[in-house]
Amino acid sequence: MTNEKKLTGAGLLFNVLEQHGVEHVFGYPGGAIMPIYDALYDSKVEHFLCRHEQGAAFSAVGYARASGKVGVCFATSGPGATNLITGLADALADSIPIVAITGQVATAAMGSDAFQEIDIFGLSLACTKHSFQVTDINDLEKVLHQAFAIALEGRQGPVLVDIPKDIQITEVNRCLDKLVNLENKVKLPPANVGSAIALLNQAKQPILYVGGGVGMANAIDELRDFATTTGLPSVSTLKGLGAIDPEDENYLGMLGMHGTKAANIAVQECDLLIAVGARFDDRVTGKLNEFAPHAKVIHFDIDTSEINKRRIADASILGDLKVNLPALAIPLAIKPWQAVCHEMNNNFAWDYNHPGELIFAPAVLKEISDKMPKNSCVTTDVGQHQMWAAQHMVFDDPSNFLTSAGMGTMGFGIPAAVGAQVSRPTDCIIAVSGDGSFMMNVQELSTIKRFQLPVKIVLIDNAKLGMVRQWQDLFFNGRLSETDLADNPDFIMLANAFDIKAKMITKKSQVSAAIEEMLEHDGPYLLQVKIDAQENVWPLVPPNTANDKMMEST
Amino acid sequence: MNNYQLMITADDKQVVLERILQVTRYRGFLINGINAKVNTGTNIGTIELLVRSERPIELLVDQINKLIDIKEVKIDNHAS
Repeated sequence: MTNEKKLTGAGLLFNVLEQHGVEHVFGYPGGAIMPIYDALYDSKVEHFLCRHEQGAAFSAVGYARASGKVGVCFATSGPGATNLITGLADALADSIPIVAITGQVATAAMGSDAFQEIDIFGLSLACTKHSFQVTDINDLEKVLHQAFAIALEGRQGPVLVDIPKDIQITEVNRCLDKLVNLENKVKLPPANVGSAIALLNQAKQPILYVGGGVGMANAIDELRDFATTTGLPSVSTLKGLGAIDPEDENYLGMLGMHGTKAANIAVQECDLLIAVGARFDDRVTGKLNEFAPHAKVIHFDIDTSEINKRRIADASILGDLKVNLPALAIPLAIKPWQAVCHEMNNNFAWDYNHPGELIFAPAVLKEISDKMPKNSCVTTDVGQHQMWAAQHMVFDDPSNFLTSAGMGTMGFGIPAAVGAQVSRPTDCIIAVSGDGSFMMNVQELSTIKRFQLPVKIVLIDNAKLGMVRQWQDLFFNGRLSETDLADNPDFIMLANAFDIKAKMITKKSQVSAAIEEMLEHDGPYLLQVKIDAQENVWPLVPPNTANDKMMEST
Repeated sequence: MNNYQLMITADDKQVVLERILQVTRYRGFLINGINAKVNTGTNIGTIELLVRSERPIELLVDQINKLIDIKEVKIDNHAS
């Protein structure tokens, strides 16, 4: 016992948060978490009141992804807690370190169907990396330390701590004077370096397949050194965008369902696939048993369970990418293959020629990307605009492109931008949204207003659920079902109601000036970009199809 | 369908059994039988889990091993 100051459970919570360097939390108060909000009064931690618990969870995700720190969110019991679940699931799918604190009814009332009681501990099992329910005040301090350690160790992820109201108000001695070190759970087999080097030396047409794990491992420098030393042509997943230097002449762009033609063909033709922090997701592979059919596989990952999950690896390199990538960085004699890839890059470059006066969203997003300040951070929602942003915007770091990759959660973009802006107050934060997604967490405009966050919102508006409409047209015989959003509200009036300056553009001739006005504006800004509702995202690999059989614009 | 028997040792922590059952179901394995007990002296639980699936058992072993409170997972036998 080195520090015997008496604290309530709620006070202890803030004590531990401060110990972990937490400066900002996102949340929404309610009955069962009131002692914690009372203790907030005396804390140095700054709280950002969101207007829905889902917004708080996504803001914590955006904060974590933009800053590399743990994101923290608060919610009350019952509906407050269940509203966090989509954000936790999103964080689990994309391996984002979040600590969610939920209030719970008092222990004596638990299990009695009390007011605003739900078994969030039980509900958390499928959507968190780990979870705790604190029923003894003497466990609280250790549990909170464990929550931060688990969120960050190995493959990162969300952790929920459910704290009953009586535990929040019970006094306790703060008894630990330093952070708990977890027993190292990640016991990895020795890296299979020798066989991997042999595979690299034998390969004539190798491809580097880069996933989101590179950014999570903070191994961007090591990856770029590896790419430069080996000269490997490379492709990226959606979450991996920004890891490879976009100026690398051997970089072929994103692969998968809406990947570049060069990336997908190169992967299909390769004889060795070096997967780094990637998990052979179905949106990447297309028809799995026809994915990279001639390739042997070297798989680097921190998570043992990803090895051989979707594709058998010929060599697996488990552990820290910062250590393991340099061990395999050897020059390769693959000049003829590099030349083939360069030629594909040239032959299949994006074409921004677009007939007519209607605005072409890919060209708008490319122009924003060209004009946005260095170190801008772009968030997206989910749908056509998300894929256009991934295809046509350029990112030099994964922390500058925040998109819901694994879970594909509409409503992610605006609250994620809130979190990103809080974590990086001097950087330009741009939320690219669609008119469907925007309405899913539109209440977070109020958070932007409340804290005067200078978030720029680019609303790609086709008055449709565009991606679903595209699939209905292509794969459901044009039977358009519940995808028309012609009754959207007046988005300009809506933004103005939250004191957000807004402008709508409808013609190509308006694009450049509008982008400049938005980027030069000091405060929050919404740019509504009306586009042709019939525009599709190309190329497209149809479902259950090999990636080289992609559909293209006619 | 292949039948498998797993021997799992785990810290006796909250809902560890629920976590194992949730992962087992989600990852595509059906449970034929379960036998669980706790050594109250060591607070270590042992769970004998009989499962069946078309999927390789290693996929389930790796996922159970990721659970924070799990100490060890052994495949006791392979039977088809």
